[in-house]
Amino acid sequence: MIEILSVVLQIAGAFFYFAGTLGLLRFPDVYSRLHALAKADNLGLGCVLIGLALQAESVAVALKLLLIWPLALAASAGVSYAIARRADSLGVVPWCKEKH
Amino acid sequence: MIPGLILRCLLFAVLWWVLAEGHIDDLWLGVVAVMTATWASAVLMPPVAHRLRLIKMPGFVLFFLRNSIRGGFQVAMMALRGRAALQPGVLELQLNLPEGGPRVLMTSVIGLMPGTLSVELAEDRLRVHVLDERLSLAAEVGELEARISALFGVGL
Repeated sequence: MIEILSVVLQIAGAFFYFAGTLGLLRFPDVYSRLHALAKADNLGLGCVLIGLALQAESVAVALKLLLIWPLALAASAGVSYAIARRADSLGVVPWCKEKH
Repeated sequence: MIPGLILRCLLFAVLWWVLAEGHIDDLWLGVVAVMTATWASAVLMPPVAHRLRLIKMPGFVLFFLRNSIRGGFQVAMMALRGRAALQPGVLELQLNLPEGGPRVLMTSVIGLMPGTLSVELAEDRLRVHVLDERLSLAAEVGELEARISALFGVGL
């Protein structure tokens, strides 16, 4: 039962990574791409880590795996703000539907 | 001050236990690491300004999880549909949170909530890029702000 749940979560994680990468390739500008990376990839990472933690051999190993998530979340939130802010200060105008 | 440091010391001890995967054979190394970490945190971030109210933490974490899952789903569906799903825009928000920790947390967490991404925080004005300006995000941003102010125990 736990094995099945673990596999389902890891497949879900792979799907969100796929969607995040798809967004990175298909979205029109740096800001939209950051949305895809920050949100979809982090959800993917969360799913994969919970899936792996379910199969861990001890509580400490499971917690160590789960600890990766908040650290990656904090890094990803900070980095995407830094990139968006830099793009903005360089004068990158957000893509806008009406013009195209 | 002292209860705050004891709490940090305990958190670092749990962290060490997790990192060592439950092994306690090199305990002295762990004790040194935990003490050094507590000292460094006391010097770098004195536990005075804007203390977190731990009692509000579980509620905030649940709120955050719920919305980051929603945000991940939403952006994944948009990525599958391509550009046609987007109608980006920029919102300018007036923050009522005090400067320092609360505003920084708000700026960071907005990037993981559905459809929003911080672009620039200047004083109490936050400019946010939104993936779809047709969605009414003002209410959601307001709820996040209220949650953060409760977490830090500051009134809006």
